[in-house]
Amino acid sequence: MSAKYPAIKMKDGERYFYRFNLDERIQHIIFAASVVLLVLTGMPLKFSSAGWAQYIYPFFGGTKGAPIVHKVCGTIMLLVLAYHVYRITVNIYKNHILPAKKAGNYSLVKILLGQKMVPNLKDAFDIRDLMKYLLFFTNERPRGDNFTWKEKFDYWAPFWGCIVIGGTGIIMWNKEIASHLIPGMVINFCLIAHSDEALLASLFLFIWHWYNVHYSASVFPMGTVFLTGYLSEELMVEEHYDYYVKVMKENGLEHEIKPPHGGGGHMETEGGLS
Amino acid sequence: MLKKIFTNLYILVFMGVVGVFTVMIWNLTFAHILEEFHHRKEVAAIDLEKTGKQTKDEKQSFEQVILESEKRVKHYLGYRVLEEQHIEGHFHHIGFDIGPDKRSYCSTCHGDMPHDSVKDIRAFLNMHAFFVACQTCHVRLEDEEKTNAFKWYDRKSGELVGSPVRDAMPGTYQAKIIPFVREEGKLVRIDSQEKIDFAGEYRKMEKQLTEGQKSRAKKMIHKIISKKPVMCEECHQKEKPLLPLAELGYPKERIDSITGTEVVGMIKNYTKFYMPKMLHPGEGKTQPAEQ
Amino acid sequence: MVFKSHIRPVWPAVVVSWILMCCLPYAALAADMGNCLLCHKYPGLSRIDKEGGMRLLYVNEEIFNKSVHAKVKCEGCHTDIKKIPHDPAKKVDCLTECHILEPSTEQKFSHKDVKTYLDQSVHSTIDKDGKEKKFPEDMPTCKDCHDNPLYRPLAFVKKVRAGVAEESLGRCRVCHKKEEFIFRFYNHITTRLHKSRSPLNIAQSCGRCHDDQELVARHNLSTRAMYSYGETFHGKAANLLDERVPDCLDCHVVKGKSVHQMYSNDDVRSSTHPTNRGQICNTVDCHPQASPKLGSYNVHAEFSLKQSPAEYYFTVFFIILTGGTLLPLMGIMFLDMLRRLFPNATITGRKK
Repeated sequence: MSAKYPAIKMKDGERYFYRFNLDERIQHIIFAASVVLLVLTGMPLKFSSAGWAQYIYPFFGGTKGAPIVHKVCGTIMLLVLAYHVYRITVNIYKNHILPAKKAGNYSLVKILLGQKMVPNLKDAFDIRDLMKYLLFFTNERPRGDNFTWKEKFDYWAPFWGCIVIGGTGIIMWNKEIASHLIPGMVINFCLIAHSDEALLASLFLFIWHWYNVHYSASVFPMGTVFLTGYLSEELMVEEHYDYYVKVMKENGLEHEIKPPHGGGGHMETEGGLS
Repeated sequence: MLKKIFTNLYILVFMGVVGVFTVMIWNLTFAHILEEFHHRKEVAAIDLEKTGKQTKDEKQSFEQVILESEKRVKHYLGYRVLEEQHIEGHFHHIGFDIGPDKRSYCSTCHGDMPHDSVKDIRAFLNMHAFFVACQTCHVRLEDEEKTNAFKWYDRKSGELVGSPVRDAMPGTYQAKIIPFVREEGKLVRIDSQEKIDFAGEYRKMEKQLTEGQKSRAKKMIHKIISKKPVMCEECHQKEKPLLPLAELGYPKERIDSITGTEVVGMIKNYTKFYMPKMLHPGEGKTQPAEQ
Repeated sequence: MVFKSHIRPVWPAVVVSWILMCCLPYAALAADMGNCLLCHKYPGLSRIDKEGGMRLLYVNEEIFNKSVHAKVKCEGCHTDIKKIPHDPAKKVDCLTECHILEPSTEQKFSHKDVKTYLDQSVHSTIDKDGKEKKFPEDMPTCKDCHDNPLYRPLAFVKKVRAGVAEESLGRCRVCHKKEEFIFRFYNHITTRLHKSRSPLNIAQSCGRCHDDQELVARHNLSTRAMYSYGETFHGKAANLLDERVPDCLDCHVVKGKSVHQMYSNDDVRSSTHPTNRGQICNTVDCHPQASPKLGSYNVHAEFSLKQSPAEYYFTVFFIILTGGTLLPLMGIMFLDMLRRLFPNATITGRKK
């Protein structure tokens, strides 16, 4: 962690916790922008007979322009995916595989399973704890780690979506070439997969993901972590308590650790990001 | 405190939104499976029917007959979009819309095309009914009631409006002519709110009324109707036509043509051919649509 | 105007009585020699017929003048009307010889060849052996597919666009002095150089019968054609008013033949017969680089277990995936908010 990006930053007397580096944030913004455009140029086709489609589609150039926008954005999205996979691979190789080989305890499976975005047992417990909290068995939210199950879900769902939608999209884009390799029937399945998976992805992102990062009462009106890379202390406590404690300890602030989010009391400190 | 209230309000609203989302997601996903299942069952039912019968079923529900005919169609001509009502098997284009008369309490029972009995002129009477309120011809105002005052009212809002004649093609107006009567010295529209309410109340109560009550109510509603309606030549004449055409905004050329020899001669010609029926247009009886 | 009645396939039977002639000194219409519009220009001219159908006797002059029949006199089609006032008009026979001369043969013009084609096509009421098919009343007659066709002129001067090019008209005017002539020929020719109806209008026109679930079942057809077409990219683009996408006729009519010569899928003359299907997609106008294998794309696949089981199960997988993922998440969201409304309300008591 460089001096430019300390793990904990003070601003207006509030603590902010470092979460995403610049590279990740840029990837995310390009990805998000291309997905929004893809949805805007794709959904009017999926629901082409709906009234609103007739208004949105012409905005992107109608049946002449919108497919081009869609293809350009799709390409950008897949390039971001490729870049991301490349960065991850290099990172794992450099920071995990090489040291492990040097240390002599190299196991690929172990390393992959140990990655921060890979779901683990803790997530299962967190979900159980969340259910307990949601169903009024306890007043305490689950104590999330650096990346909670929600974020892992938000990561892997688009990951799988990208591959399905991107793959089928490429086939349908180049149907002429594809038709020499596969029968036309396959395009039927591509279309189903492309459009149904896209529906899942867009509903997932615009409802679930946006709820968690923007619309939830403790974040509303807008989460800024995707821009600044820093998350407020209040939200750290609410969502990533275990990690919060760990970071505080690492930075020698054991005595200032706040109590876990007890359900109540957060209203008063709400809006810490604004 | 205020912040807490707003936060809770926000949460409540968003809970509603989530409910909407849930329904939407259901409709976009599992509802399709159910829909397909029911559709398959329906088709199977038709298949069963088909094996039994050789000709198609002629039974038609109210929905099929009346509501399905309200389909609309858009013709995409490139340089313009022509939207109109789609009338099955109709060859000529209509090309514009005029909304139904919302004010008239006559047409709620008698319909938009009330004239039906006199075969040879019914279409013509309906054509007039398109821009002339029923009371104009079917209520003969005598003596002090006769005010000679007529005005245009908007079909949709029912409010009085200026003359639409100059700005539109003949007969394609969004307004209708309504007579005025004198009540306690004041000029008022003949279709007073009182009358509209009375007829509306009758429609609502109809099912609960006894036969005798029904007959009385209908008598009351139709009390003002004259036995002999206004005849064609009462308007289509040069000397004192019934409607003050100039006041109603008709330009001179139109008045000349409405009251000119061509039309009047034609009516005379026509009465000669169809005389017997012409003089008794009420015969054969036009009943309210639902009876 | 909104007419509140059911309409059966009837002509706007003409019941004219010359009671009224309120009319401006009005622009003479070529077709209206008999001055029929004096009465038929009134939109209220209408009645209910014996079967309860509404007969609208109105003719919109402006639109009629932009239709392909604008030069045909009223009496050219309504041949039974000889005098005024006239009796209720008979149904028009579209195959009648009208007064127009077909310019290449100088014979009287008629649509009667259409009938010969139609009688051999899949839409005929008689089968190959000359016997009447089942449900002959389902088979289309002229007006089930055609209303009065309207011109769809194109301009080609700088780029192809919809509408009339004044620049072209300027050239016509050098030799041809009659505006009416110029207007009609320009419109006729440019309309004929492309589709006289947009893909969406074509699909709607076919869909009027082919989307009727009962009709589809009665005739053992495999699909609600317009519905399933609407699920393809072609149909979706058509819904969004693209003019370039193929409509029903582009695939179902053999190139160079008339739409009235359409054959059943199991007829070897049909463009959609399995032996010919491969040639549909890779024509020069569509996907020239594609292999004939593209033709096996199932255009009319429906989400239906009976019709396309593979697609059905594939879709069901995604439906379950989507619903199964999102609905629980919605539940969590809802509970999460409920929990925020009542932060300290465990069932086990208010312990912290």
